[in-house]
Formats: sequence, C-alpha cells, structure tokens
Amino acid sequence: MDPSQLLKGVLDLAVLAVLRDADGYGYDVLRRLRAAGLEDVADASVYGTLRRLFAAGALTSYVQPSEEGPHRKYYGLNQTGLDLLAESTKTWNHFAGTMAGLLTKKEEAA
Amino acid sequence: MNSTLTGTIATYLAQVKAELADLPPGELEDVLDDVASHLTEVAAEFEQEPTEAQLRERLGTPRQYADELRTAAGYPTSPRPPAQDRDAAERSLRWAIIAGTVGPFFMLIGLFSGSSEPAGFFLLIGAGVLFGAALLGVRALGDRSPRIVLDTPRGAQGAEFVRGLIAQIPPNVRSELVSIGQPVWWVARGMLGGGGFFALFGAGAVAVVGAIAGAGVSVWIGRRSQQDRRWLWYVVPLNVVAILAVPAALAAGFVGTSNGLFSFSNYDSRSGIPPYTTGLALDGEPIQNLYPFDEQGRQVSVRLYTENGKPLNQPLNDCNATYGQGGPTVSNLFPQAVIESHDPGVAEPDPATETSRPEQCRDTTRAPFVPPPVPATPTHPTAGTTPAPSTTPTPVPSVTPSATPSSKPTTPGVTLTVTPTR
Repeated sequence: MDPSQLLKGVLDLAVLAVLRDADGYGYDVLRRLRAAGLEDVADASVYGTLRRLFAAGALTSYVQPSEEGPHRKYYGLNQTGLDLLAESTKTWNHFAGTMAGLLTKKEEAA
Repeated sequence: MNSTLTGTIATYLAQVKAELADLPPGELEDVLDDVASHLTEVAAEFEQEPTEAQLRERLGTPRQYADELRTAAGYPTSPRPPAQDRDAAERSLRWAIIAGTVGPFFMLIGLFSGSSEPAGFFLLIGAGVLFGAALLGVRALGDRSPRIVLDTPRGAQGAEFVRGLIAQIPPNVRSELVSIGQPVWWVARGMLGGGGFFALFGAGAVAVVGAIAGAGVSVWIGRRSQQDRRWLWYVVPLNVVAILAVPAALAAGFVGTSNGLFSFSNYDSRSGIPPYTTGLALDGEPIQNLYPFDEQGRQVSVRLYTENGKPLNQPLNDCNATYGQGGPTVSNLFPQAVIESHDPGVAEPDPATETSRPEQCRDTTRAPFVPPPVPATPTHPTAGTTPAPSTTPTPVPSVTPSATPSSKPTTPGVTLTVTPTR
C-alpha cells in the first residue's frame, strides 16, 4: 500500500498536530513532519494544506524576520484550529480503531 | 521577496507561476510568496546552486509541484484541457524536429560548398528554416512551458535517450564540463557564428569584429535561455549547427584546406579589400612580384591570367597603393611597380631623400636581381649569347674602337644578337 495515498487523507490532521506543539513556517512544518516519520510527504502539499487551513480560518499567520534570509511566514493554531484538531483527532481515533478491529478479526479468522 | 531569486530557482518559480496562472491575482501572489520561500529553503539543502535536474528530482516537475499545491490547497483544478496541451506540444515538437534537421542540413551544405556565394545562399536558407520553424514552434506552444513537449511520447523517448547519454559521463566530469565548458562554448559558438557570417561578406577585419560581437550575443542568449526556457527553441538547433561547425572550422584551420567559408584563398578580389592570405605562392613561400623575361633575356611586361581567364591579381605595393593616393589596389600586370629602395648599389639622385613622404616616393619595375644567363635553345641559332666568353677574343678588337667602357667586357655577344631583332 502506498503511504502517500493514506497521507493525503490525514495531512490536515498531521499539520494541525505539528502546529499544536509550536508555531512554525512552511519549511519548518515540513521538517517536523519528516522528523516525526512522515517521510513521503510532498513539499508542495504541505504548503497547500497550510494555505487552505489558513483560508478556512483555522490558523493565524504572522511574518518574522529571519537571520539567514527573507522574512518567514509563521502559522499558529487559533481557537478554530484547536477545535478542528480535537474533532479530527476523535474522527481519526475512531477510524483507526475500526480499522484495527477489522484487521485483527480478519487475522483471527484466517 | 521572490525578486531576489536567481538562476534555476527563479526559472522553477516562473514555471510554477505559469501553471497557476488561472488563480485570482491576490491569491496567486500570496501562494507564490510561499513557493519562493520554500524554494529558497530547498536551495539551501544543496551545497551550491541546485541544477534544474536536481530541483526536479527533489520537488518533481513544476507542473507536479503546482498540481500538488492545487490539490492540497483546495484550488480548482487547472482549467486547461490537457488534450489541447498535448496537441500544442505535438505541434511544437514537430516544428522543432523540422528546425533541428532541415535547417542545419542546409547550413552544412553551405559550410562545405566550394565558394562563398553558394555558401551564403545555403546558410541563409538554413537560418531561415531554423528561425521560421522555431517561431512556429514557440507560437504553437503559446504560454506553456516547453517542458510539456517531454510529456508527449516522442518527446519522452528523446529525453530518455539524451539522459542515457549524459548518464555515461561521470558526475564530477559532468559538473566540470558545465562550469568550465559552458562559457567557453558560448564564446566559441558566438565567435564562429559572427565571424563566419561576416567572413561571407569579405573583409577580414569585419569578420574579427563580427566574431567579437557574435561572442557577446551568444553569451547573452546563453544567459537568457537559462532564465526563460522558451529560448531553448532557438538555442538547441543553433547549438546543433555550432557543434558541427566549430570542429569543422578548427580542422579546416589546422589543415589549411581551402573549403568554402573557412578559407580566404578563393576570395574574389572584386568585392573589396584583399584579406591577409590572398596572393601567389611557390612551394608555400609567398610571392611578392614576378619578373618576366623573354627568350632573349629582355625584361618584358605581361598580364597574367589563370586557366579560367581569371586575372592573376596581386595586391599592389607601389607609391599610389602605399600612400592611398587612389588608383587600383590590385593588378595582374607584371612586373608590378614597387617603391624604389635605397640599396647602395642603386643609383639615387639625392642620397638624403627619404621615401617616407608621398611626393618623394618613386616606383620601379627593375628586377632586384641579375637575370641568369639565357640558356641555349636549339631552335634559335643565337650562338653569341651563352658561349660569349669563347668568341670574345675575335670580335673584341673590332668593337673596342667604338669606345666601349672596360666595365662591359663580357656583354658584346648579347648586344650583337639583340640589335638585329629590333
């Protein structure tokens, strides 16, 4: 199974989870996702996800100067984002539990 | 923010921008800001500026990147019907192939044809085909990136083949070739193109200026094609021509063959100033002048022609030509007049006179050597010419009364034979 296909459905949740720990700019979010083990995440889709979550009102955004280069656009969770994260987490846990149960039953039956 | 980007990063950004051109203006600017900072970060992952291939390996093609961004951001999918894209790409590719084969073909005929007139004709046809087809290719492509040509089956095949060839070169040699070879190549192709073009019109000095200008233009085009890949449409076919022509020109230069464009020796002197390497030669040594003597050893003046009736013209070095006082600069009348020198042996009315001033310049057609004795020929019974010393004992007494100076003791035989023919 292609992990990148699975990733598409849960990228929102992954990005929200990363931002719950600390605010971050695009490349930083990307790096943290990779460090967490999501190595197959596509660069552009992280940037796209951030833009969509921001447009949906789930993220705050502010610009900070950086020592190395141009200014960086930081994103952080606002209340809407926190709510969305909580809700998505519930959905995911339910889904993951269902899948786990399904797979376990099948294994037992086999 | 994105205005600070340069090189491959800027190119990649421009291509992503082209893919997202349908987004509303404000949104487009914002998202491109994000892409620009992302590309800056990605570039920092590499030790030096990443090549286009490295960027594509890292991020996918600009189209893939834009599509990922589109999907994740929830933008509407690209409004362009992909079929139309493919058609444009196919058309473009077709013109590119026509440009890349027919154009250089005519140009090669031109380069290797014998003389300058057909060479110029074929070169112009070739250049015309090349630019015509390139123009149509660019128009077929419209605003799309030329890279979409690689999405077509034939385009992909060709790219695969080229990639295979490049993969044969070791990576370190490859980067050396790009960093050192590219500027050298730009200058070489420009000098050959500019120089060759102007050499068609004759003058060597113009060709040199043309070569320098060509090098400048070539470097500019090279930089330009790095920024805007659509220039590749022009650059690739021209490079094909140059790849064939540069070694040919070098070879012709070393071997010294007299083929078409690369040699001035068949240069037609009607059209202007003679170039450096024109003229006569004997066993490789240049000949400045010819001194014809007739059978009796008298110096004569003749006009010389080749077997084709072409005048055997030679640049003049007389007073008129040297001081630019008008009159012909070439002539086939030999001996040519040359400026009289100040050899001690040559009588000079005023020894202090310098020939540095035009009005004091004098021409001479006198041979700068003593003509060798005329060989005896069986058809002419001129016994008195060569065996003169043996016959002198008898005629001398009869001639001496006419006050012949002692300085001419061996010449009476000659004078005797000459007088009757006058």
